Amino acid sequence: MFTTKQTLFLALPLVVLLASCGGPPAPNAMLVDAKAKFATAESNPDVVRLAPVELKEAEESLVISNQLWEAREDNTKIEHHAYISLQKTAIAQETALRNKALKEMEQGEVDRQKVLLDVRRAEAERSERTANSALLEAQQERVAAVAAGQRAESSNAAAAAATAAAAAATQTATDATAKAAALASRVAELEARPTERGLVLTLGDVLFDTGKSTLRSGGTSSVYELATFLTEYPERKILIEGFTDNTGSVSMNQTLSTQRANAVKQLLESRGIASNRIRTIGFGVEHPVGDNSTANGRSQNRRVEIVISDENGVLKDRTN
Amino acid sequence: MLGLASIVVLASCASTNPPNKQMTETEMVIKAADAAGATTHAPLELREANRKLDLAKVAMTEKKYIRAERLADQARVDAELAHVKAESAIAQKSAADVKESIRVLQEEIRRITKPN
Repeated sequence: MFTTKQTLFLALPLVVLLASCGGPPAPNAMLVDAKAKFATAESNPDVVRLAPVELKEAEESLVISNQLWEAREDNTKIEHHAYISLQKTAIAQETALRNKALKEMEQGEVDRQKVLLDVRRAEAERSERTANSALLEAQQERVAAVAAGQRAESSNAAAAAATAAAAAATQTATDATAKAAALASRVAELEARPTERGLVLTLGDVLFDTGKSTLRSGGTSSVYELATFLTEYPERKILIEGFTDNTGSVSMNQTLSTQRANAVKQLLESRGIASNRIRTIGFGVEHPVGDNSTANGRSQNRRVEIVISDENGVLKDRTN
Repeated sequence: MLGLASIVVLASCASTNPPNKQMTETEMVIKAADAAGATTHAPLELREANRKLDLAKVAMTEKKYIRAERLADQARVDAELAHVKAESAIAQKSAADVKESIRVLQEEIRRITKPN
């Protein structure tokens, strides 16, 4: 710059002399440059808006420089103000950049605060989500634990019930065994025999006199035992069947067999057995079990058979 | 240089007093620019200002007050440019930093709000 200036200084007297002859002064390179730089800065809206004072100062120096140039003042003066204008233009441009950056900083700080709030909000929401899912998990675990507890309890209860049922079944079985044993024992005492119709007790002819329906005293003990049995097993009913040998008329034997069956029934009733548990029937000479041609066979045919029902009170009638 | 001397003589009618005020102000402006970080952010402009201030001081001792004042004024605008360049560089750096921090925060938000 100073080298250029010094060159210009040497040429200056000549230029001034030439210029003094009239017409526009010779262009000054630095002034031309300053004008161009100022025009560029002035056309930048940011510089106009953000550095108006600096731009104005650049213009003022440029105007002075130009006035000095038009007045054909010496280049040192012209270029001094041109230089000031150049630097002021640069200052205006840099000031615009600085102020723009400062505004961006301010806005950035505002934005940053907003974003920080967003971050905190997002973090809070995440914490809430985490807490909620933890709570949900805890609830699910609690529900699962309760369900497991209930399952355990119900399985315990089921086990207990099963144990109780098993115990009851065992007890029932024991009871049934005991009852069966007791019944077997009682049946044995009654000298009853099991048949397809159930237990059948036969009272032999020795209990009745020939032609009579009255039980001998020795026969009553068997009937009493039966009465005791029926008292112990109140669900059982009996069918009393009377039979005779073929001595005498058929009708007389029919009547006699019925009377004998009824005699047994009356004796049982006298021992407290309800009449509705006892059915009687006389078969007369029918269904002989012995040979009527012999004395022994006829003795076997004169009898009373007592059929004992099952535990449900069901009696099977004679089918043959 | 003979021509220059005649110009100075011609121009000396404008001011013949020593430009003490301009010299002092320029020195303060240079110090302020230095304090604003011009050594780091605008070293060329700051060096130019100091060089012209030194030339102005020489001119003062030679009692070339017109030249001293001119150099002092030029050194001042050089220092002013250095100052604002330093401020501009720092402000632009800060603005960029704020933008970057916002970008990082927004990234953080995306990361947080992203469903797992």
